[in-house]
Amino acid sequence: MTRASWNRLAWIMALTLLALPFVFPFLWMVSAGFKSVTEIFGAPNLIPRVWRYENFAEVFTYQPFARQYFNSLYIAGVVTILTLLISSLAGYALARIRFVGAGLIMLLLVTALMMPDEVTIIPNFFFIRWLGLVDTHWPLILLPVFGAQGVVATFLMRQYFLSLPKELEEAAKMDGLSRFGIWWKIAIPMSRPALAAVAIITFLNSWNLFLEPLIFLSSLEKFTLPLALSNFNDSYGLPLWNLQLAATTLAVIPVLIIYLIAQRQIVESFALSGVKG
Amino acid sequence: MANVQLQGLKKSFGAVEIIRGIDLQIEDGEFVVFVGPSGCGKSTLLRLIAGLETISQGELTIGDRTVNDVPASARGVAMVFQSYALYPHLTVRENMGFGLKVRKVARVERERAVADAAALLKLDALLDRYPRQLSGGQRQRVAIGRAIVANPSVFLFDEPLSNLDAELRVHMRSEIASLHQRVATTMIYVTHDQVEAMTLADRIVVLRDGRVEQVGAPQELYERPANIFVAQFIGSPKMNILNVDAAKALLSGETLPQSATQCGVRPEHLQVGSAEGAGLRGTVTLAEYAGAETLLHIELEGGDTCLALHRDGTPPRVRSGVTLTVEPSRIYLFDQNGVAVPTAA
Amino acid sequence: MTNSLSHRSGAQARAPWLTLQRRDAIEGWLFVSPTLLGFLIFFLGPLIAIFIYAMSDWNFLSGEATFVGLANFEDALLANPDFWLVLRNSAVFALGLVPLNVALALFLAVALSRPFRGVIVFRTIFFAPVITSAIAWAIVWKFLLQGEGGPINQMLAMIGITGPNWLREPNWAMAAVIVTRVIKMVGLNMILYIAALQAIPRDYDEAAGLEGASRWQIFRLITWPLLGPTTLVIVILTTIGSFKVFDHIYQMTGGGPENGTLVLAFYIYQQGFQFFDIGYASALAIIMFVIVTILTLIQVSLRRKDDA
Repeated sequence: MTRASWNRLAWIMALTLLALPFVFPFLWMVSAGFKSVTEIFGAPNLIPRVWRYENFAEVFTYQPFARQYFNSLYIAGVVTILTLLISSLAGYALARIRFVGAGLIMLLLVTALMMPDEVTIIPNFFFIRWLGLVDTHWPLILLPVFGAQGVVATFLMRQYFLSLPKELEEAAKMDGLSRFGIWWKIAIPMSRPALAAVAIITFLNSWNLFLEPLIFLSSLEKFTLPLALSNFNDSYGLPLWNLQLAATTLAVIPVLIIYLIAQRQIVESFALSGVKG
Repeated sequence: MANVQLQGLKKSFGAVEIIRGIDLQIEDGEFVVFVGPSGCGKSTLLRLIAGLETISQGELTIGDRTVNDVPASARGVAMVFQSYALYPHLTVRENMGFGLKVRKVARVERERAVADAAALLKLDALLDRYPRQLSGGQRQRVAIGRAIVANPSVFLFDEPLSNLDAELRVHMRSEIASLHQRVATTMIYVTHDQVEAMTLADRIVVLRDGRVEQVGAPQELYERPANIFVAQFIGSPKMNILNVDAAKALLSGETLPQSATQCGVRPEHLQVGSAEGAGLRGTVTLAEYAGAETLLHIELEGGDTCLALHRDGTPPRVRSGVTLTVEPSRIYLFDQNGVAVPTAA
Repeated sequence: MTNSLSHRSGAQARAPWLTLQRRDAIEGWLFVSPTLLGFLIFFLGPLIAIFIYAMSDWNFLSGEATFVGLANFEDALLANPDFWLVLRNSAVFALGLVPLNVALALFLAVALSRPFRGVIVFRTIFFAPVITSAIAWAIVWKFLLQGEGGPINQMLAMIGITGPNWLREPNWAMAAVIVTRVIKMVGLNMILYIAALQAIPRDYDEAAGLEGASRWQIFRLITWPLLGPTTLVIVILTTIGSFKVFDHIYQMTGGGPENGTLVLAFYIYQQGFQFFDIGYASALAIIMFVIVTILTLIQVSLRRKDDA
């Protein structure tokens, strides 16, 4: 072998070694999800000696796990659609319409851009309580749509609209389309990449949201997935490992499969939001 | 059909004034070209008329209406954009009919309007294609077709030919000229290319720094420029500007007005003779041969350089001495501010 | 052709109320109004509220609130030893996480920015934890890092090493949450670096290569300086991210052992929602607000300079 190919082999080896702690947790999660409690703490082996499929059935009897799964899905869907709508409207105005106050609005929004939810969560809790919406899904929808997430989406959309050729929209204006019509019929159809990026990031964020469910939800059948996952404990508060890991497998694997299929699109979305957001 | 009136029109973006007060009367059916160097405000002025920018001050009248606050789509104007601005997701037919559709014009009427415009521009065969399937020249024609379908009282063109190659540009130029002859609608056309301006315009408006330098028919601008800027902007290669002493040497003996400090001579008006005769003496430093003519770079005695176009016969060689003469009526005089000084002749 | 445009007749009255400028303004405000309204209700309002809360002694359970001025801050800054522990923990967490994350991200990006067979596989692997729920990630690692019978310690035992009880000893616990968090998030910085690396024209490398520079010299003298702006942004984003970490701590250690991993975000939650000390929790939230605002301003001004 030439020196160059030895070199390459060394790189690949190093990267493979480095990849272990990234892959290993997923493999062990799936494996442990199929094991009995005793085997989990026996000698370490990746392939279970006895495949205990019952774990996955017990997940659904221990908690209303199907219902919780559905909660996460529909909440993430609603949050995504609302965010797309609202952020693309505001992003469009901030990119294209010259109006007094636009600069001030931008400045205000920047303050929220990276603010952790923890900063405002206490007053928001009292406000939601005052509205009588504790232990409902409303705060899980409202806070992300109008919080830092929504602001990131707004800036992302604005940046993208700025990069589009202006003349097409001007032609539409001369053709008699209203501002709303220009937004909907011209700007939105041209913004697929940015909309896809916003949709992907927003969906994942809502899907993985934890602080808000933890604070606002108390009934099991209203839980979302992350909260449900953290709740597989016995009466002493100790984790029921095999159930918890089986449930985690059920929550994580579909997302990973979608990620493998749409890998390129998803990674690009994050790159876009990181660079511009 | 409509005339267009601009009265004291101003436009600022923030603190920057782009259009600094323009008065202009455009007659019904006239072809007016706005020309000037980049940044002179010509496109902004067109966009003010179109309604794509709001007017900061002054009054804009189209027909008998003040349209300062009439939305673009209700002004009775149509615009052809530099980038054509065709909707990528619509066919040629849909692109051309889009404006009428938005305005809820009946389908039959809409289709007739599109068919008429397509026939006029020989686009019939392309109606079901998408913009991406068209060549640059075809896209340009569709953009013009879309404007025609709108049946405006004023056509606006924003550098419509600058994205085409040289050959197509000449061709489309003649098509636009013949279109104007056929429809006889008021047309306002923006370009930075003075050849386009000269060949198309009934009247040219020369702009600089948001102000009108001169308005006039092409021949008028060429023969009687109001100042050095217009003199140099119109005509190619551009007019030589020399110290007034050069004019004295060329005119031998005539008395010049006191205020004249500079003079101008167009390269095509200089006659290049052998070194012996009377006139301006100089040495050829560079000769650019282009077939029908040769552009001579000449260093004059005293250090100034000037350009001369040599047409018939063999051009003088580089480094040879020459004498330049000119017909007295072809000499332009300017005062120290660059404003034209009328000659006695 | 019938005329559809110029049929709109009637001379317009001069300067109507609805000028084009006003129309633009109305449309602009209308378009941003949902975002703006939400921002005022769920961000700006609460932000003002924490300043008021922070100046009161308000126990949520008893429902009593009294005005105490800056006592909560005094409590935080002077009297409460926990606060300094929390700040120290947050600083240790940030100082451990940021350099490790950025260095690893840069290494991976350099290794994976040029195409070779399998490059996509590696990129996919290193990015996978980013899209995984933090809670799920923490659950699995908590399982792997158990003291007795935990898979990692069992494997260490096979090569003769007795692993510590990772999450039960303060220093090991801090190291464990930092490292597992880096593994979770490094993929994000990796792709930002890859994007930046791919934006560098290859001419530079090639020119330097022709001049006889080694690969390390090319990296140190050309690539690294060109990555400067990206690195600054990444460092600040990662630092802000380190202050946001909550789910991870909640699930893995719950702030323990002996408050060894008690960081600011978790402490706010604990004071507000477990001990119901609203005034004190609000004072903590203000401190977090100030830290993140400063970092955001630095980041925004860097980006401005970058754009110019």
